[in-house]
Amino acid sequence: MKVSFILNGKYVSVDVKSNEILLDVLRHKLGIKSIKRGCERGECGACTVLLNGKPVYSCMLLAVQVDGQEITTVEGLENELRPLIKAFAEVGAIQCGYCTPGILLTAYALLKNSSDELTESDVKKALEGNLCRCTGYKKIIEAVLQARKYYKKA
Amino acid sequence: MFYRLPEFNYYRPATLKEALYLLSELEDVKILAGGTDLLIDLRIRRYRPKNIIDISRLKELKYIIDEGDKVRIGSLTTLQELIESPIIRSKAPLLAEAAYNMSSWQIRNIATIGGNLCNASPAADTAPPLMIYEAKLKLKSIEGERIVPITKFFRGPRKTELRSNEILTEIEIPYIRDVGSSFIKLGRRDAFTLSIVAIATAVNVRDGKFADVRISLNAVAPTPVRAYTAENYLKGKNVTIDEIKKAAELVLKDISPISDVRASAEYRKEMSVILTIDSIVRSLDRLGIKVEGWEL
Amino acid sequence: MGVVEDPYTLIEKWLRAKEFMVVGKGIERADALDKALGRAKFVEDYYEKGILFIKQILSTEPHARIKRVIRDEALKLPGVRAVITADDIPGENQVGYALPDQPLLASGKVRYYGETIALVVADDFDKAFDAAELVKVEYEPLPALLDPLEAMKENNILIHDEVGSNIAFRTRIRKGNVEEGFARSDVIVENEYRTHHQEHLYLEPEAALAIPGLDNRITIITAAQHPHLAQAITARILGVPASYVKIVVPYLGGGFGGKDDEGPLVAAKAALAAYITGKPTFLMYTREESIMIHPKREATIIKYKSGATKDGKLMAIDVTIIHDTGAYANRGPFILWRASVHASGPYEVPHARVDGYCIYTNKVPQGSFRGFGNPSVQFAAEAQMDELAKKLGMDPVEFRLKNMLRPGSRTITNQLLEESVGIAEAVERLAKVAEWRKKYVEYGKERGRYRRGIGIGVAWHGISTSRGVPDWSNAVITIEKDGSVTVRTGIVEIGQGSPNTSHRQIVSEVLGVPLEKVRIAFGTTDAPDTGATHASRGTSIGAIGVLVAAARLRERLNKLAAELLGASPSDIVIKNGKVYVKGKEDKYIRWEDLIREAYSRGIEMSATGYFFLPKGKFDDRVGQGYAYPAYSYVAVIAEVSVDTYTGKVKVTRVWPALAAGRIINPTQVEGQIEGAVAQGTGYVLMEQLIFDKKGRIINPDLTDYVIPTAIDVPKVEKPVYVEDLFRYGPFGAKGVGEMALIPVPAAISNAVAHALGFRIYSLPLTPEKVYFEIKKRMGKR
Repeated sequence: MKVSFILNGKYVSVDVKSNEILLDVLRHKLGIKSIKRGCERGECGACTVLLNGKPVYSCMLLAVQVDGQEITTVEGLENELRPLIKAFAEVGAIQCGYCTPGILLTAYALLKNSSDELTESDVKKALEGNLCRCTGYKKIIEAVLQARKYYKKA
Repeated sequence: MFYRLPEFNYYRPATLKEALYLLSELEDVKILAGGTDLLIDLRIRRYRPKNIIDISRLKELKYIIDEGDKVRIGSLTTLQELIESPIIRSKAPLLAEAAYNMSSWQIRNIATIGGNLCNASPAADTAPPLMIYEAKLKLKSIEGERIVPITKFFRGPRKTELRSNEILTEIEIPYIRDVGSSFIKLGRRDAFTLSIVAIATAVNVRDGKFADVRISLNAVAPTPVRAYTAENYLKGKNVTIDEIKKAAELVLKDISPISDVRASAEYRKEMSVILTIDSIVRSLDRLGIKVEGWEL
Repeated sequence: MGVVEDPYTLIEKWLRAKEFMVVGKGIERADALDKALGRAKFVEDYYEKGILFIKQILSTEPHARIKRVIRDEALKLPGVRAVITADDIPGENQVGYALPDQPLLASGKVRYYGETIALVVADDFDKAFDAAELVKVEYEPLPALLDPLEAMKENNILIHDEVGSNIAFRTRIRKGNVEEGFARSDVIVENEYRTHHQEHLYLEPEAALAIPGLDNRITIITAAQHPHLAQAITARILGVPASYVKIVVPYLGGGFGGKDDEGPLVAAKAALAAYITGKPTFLMYTREESIMIHPKREATIIKYKSGATKDGKLMAIDVTIIHDTGAYANRGPFILWRASVHASGPYEVPHARVDGYCIYTNKVPQGSFRGFGNPSVQFAAEAQMDELAKKLGMDPVEFRLKNMLRPGSRTITNQLLEESVGIAEAVERLAKVAEWRKKYVEYGKERGRYRRGIGIGVAWHGISTSRGVPDWSNAVITIEKDGSVTVRTGIVEIGQGSPNTSHRQIVSEVLGVPLEKVRIAFGTTDAPDTGATHASRGTSIGAIGVLVAAARLRERLNKLAAELLGASPSDIVIKNGKVYVKGKEDKYIRWEDLIREAYSRGIEMSATGYFFLPKGKFDDRVGQGYAYPAYSYVAVIAEVSVDTYTGKVKVTRVWPALAAGRIINPTQVEGQIEGAVAQGTGYVLMEQLIFDKKGRIINPDLTDYVIPTAIDVPKVEKPVYVEDLFRYGPFGAKGVGEMALIPVPAAISNAVAHALGFRIYSLPLTPEKVYFEIKKRMGKR
């Protein structure tokens, strides 16, 4: 069956089987390599994408479920993510990088939806579903808070 | 690439009526709402349905309405929407608290309250609050609709009162006033994890005595339960730590935990007692009543 | 006059440098943007439709003879290219690391639930799945041994028949006379400790993509930590010369030692499939397979007896270490050796007896994991120190300082530590920063529901490889004609940043070129064998080669510049793209022009940096002698709060201290510390592999093997550093990667013991375990 949706601002249409998951369709059929495969059970967050602006696990969605919706990955947010990426690089919040695209998307969605009173606790709660085995999270949280002034609530 | 989902026919009806019609016509069907339980079940081959009906686009099942003495929630309301709803936070706060501790933001953005209830895991976290509120569930089929109280909805692990041609469409929560309530979850870590045990309690007090008492637990029986023995004991008793402790011990009469990879039955029993005390003391605290003799 | 080329001279020259341009600064890593935008490629990113897909057939028995593998039905399916078993291996089916006891594909026998028996190779994922379902294995079950103590004594059931027992390896340390030592001790403490397995849970599971070329040559893109080991193992399996096998390690999604052990095996499996089918193949372990197949952190039983005088001087230790090495020895002998040598903790002990046993069981093998045998033995050693201190009525930190290794000390292998022993100063400063004394007294008095505790763990960790195995470093650096610099190294980028930060910094510092001009080609067999990226040697040893190669080039450039500018080579400064005489900055040559001149004069602008790390002698029969070239030291103070009603332990704050020589990149080092503390906290509080009666891991997924999320980690304070320089390390650096994890189990468990007033002698400290211990000791609450 055909599924059509907006991917990083562009209309795409692709043939899929009903049992294909979004993660595989994005990686193998649409060339989006930023989303990673860590568990395929909705536990690790490496496959996070934005569905209509909200973070979701692409391994927990059938491709057919996103018909007519909007999917965004880091490839489609290069400019918007610049301040966040700059903070991540400065603070040293990236090590192996496997979790990074997922974390950036979740952080971006958080910063665009939160007020100026964003606390460290809020950031931790938002990132609860993005596992990182390398950094211990401290610098990631620091980088997100450092970048917050560049993002206004939408 | 780690798992292969079985093949199935996929349907996406545009209206509830269409969905109910399909449900009555097709055999071997599973409903797809958020899919966060179903996709796991398909992967581990718990279910291999021939047909899947995707109801996630039925806007008619997405609402939160405050009707004064009750709140009506459409079954496709996501867990995140429950957390963010001012109506839920004020009129059914335990539900928001439970949802807040469930899974991750990514899952909560698509997981639905209806899905959590119909999946009927013994550890479903929306259940204890709804059991406390004595919610009423509306089940619809092409033949009509019926209301089932939540206390009668769960029949066993992953078994509910839902018939094969029915869809859960609405959860109605009576608004209980003047109660202090609390939801406590114990897990293997602070972040989201399957409960070792989770408890919801609601109490109100008159003339220094317990009036209404409601206690509900999950993960300690084949279904979420109400601890009626403990509740009945406590009603009419003085608000003292000794009575609360006695009641907490009576919780054991209504639970039958098993040992599994997360915890032993022994530990679950002991924690059911301890957390019941914690939860009742905290519920009283929220009514402005301080109980001596127990550190929260 | 010739140019200095001798590595020892060059290393020492740069060790004495006083001012730095980039070393010592938190320079940003080169790959940050690529990783952020998903452009950095990991193995799976090279997979495309058309590449053959491999599905593994794993054993469902812990111990059994393989009667036969039935593949006919599977082979009949269209699109199925091969079903490969041990019989199809063209070369030698032997991948054992320390001992030759391990096949790549099970042969004749399986020895653990999850062992790989066969590879199904098909056109795509669906066909491979279909075919795998049709492959059947017929077993003749044998009795299985799951408990190491039982297996140790059992001589009728042998997991490896040719060994004659289930003891894979033994270590021995004999220093002084322990009977005499205990006789002179005023207090003696004796306990048994148990620690559990840990799963690495790197976010990227194992993967390899093999591409056959002409003439039996093959290229494998693989997630491995030692390219040349993957090359050697693959060559052996295929029966081809090593030079026919090219290994390329792209970015790795975490390693922690797991991909050091398993990476080469994954590469060999993919290569085998490619060799047999003649087509490119791809293998990626599912998360469940990853957890079931690859080797784990050691599970141990440690019996420890310590004695001290009433003045607080350690007199003797008698330690028995039993490692459950699982079905295959793998790194077991090295892990046990390291544990044995470090068994005393970083203290002077005049009399020591250590007996180590590596025991086979029918479970997943043990293997490399950050700390490599040290976390468990330090857990035991540091508990002993606390208990001795308690009996002596001394403060735990004071007692440790009284016995701590200092320059001039001898270890329990009688190795003299002449220099680079900064631990005492680190512990003193750490105790001050954490307000140790005040809190130790205050928290110890608490009696309510929530009890706070404070605990310290101090550890040491020899850098470089164990058992006297030769260690060396190398790199090739070429200054290109346009003045850019290419560095080729076998060190891989597992996330720690060695190639993309510290190596670049070192080259930039030594050559004087801006960082942007330096490009590192890492993780390739095209570079000389640099050893593995493990043992915290990525920078400490791995970068020595980089330093030496860069230093050689610098000497040549200094000589040339001196001629051109009419000065002495020692007065040449290279900075910000300019080459000039010290003090005469206005008369400069541009870097690019200097290089052009070098090329036109035929001066070699390529250099290698081979450096052999000198090691002394070690006598394995008595465990005495030179164990490691240097030791990194680390201390962690942990503050906990225990809910005595539920048993839940919360680690609230952690203060780390490191005496690891020169800190080349503070940001990078902090990142390692913070990550290690998180991983150690997870190990102690929530991570647990659960085996059933068949030795099968019943929680091979993230739902039930829980690791810390952002919400679960303690607050990690800024580290205390003591830069006790190591003479052979680049700019005096020692290893960092593993350090901060090693004392974490000790620190947390000591803090919990402080909070509760009694000790729990095993890990993990899950809420359930702590609760029942409290109930046993303190009664119902």
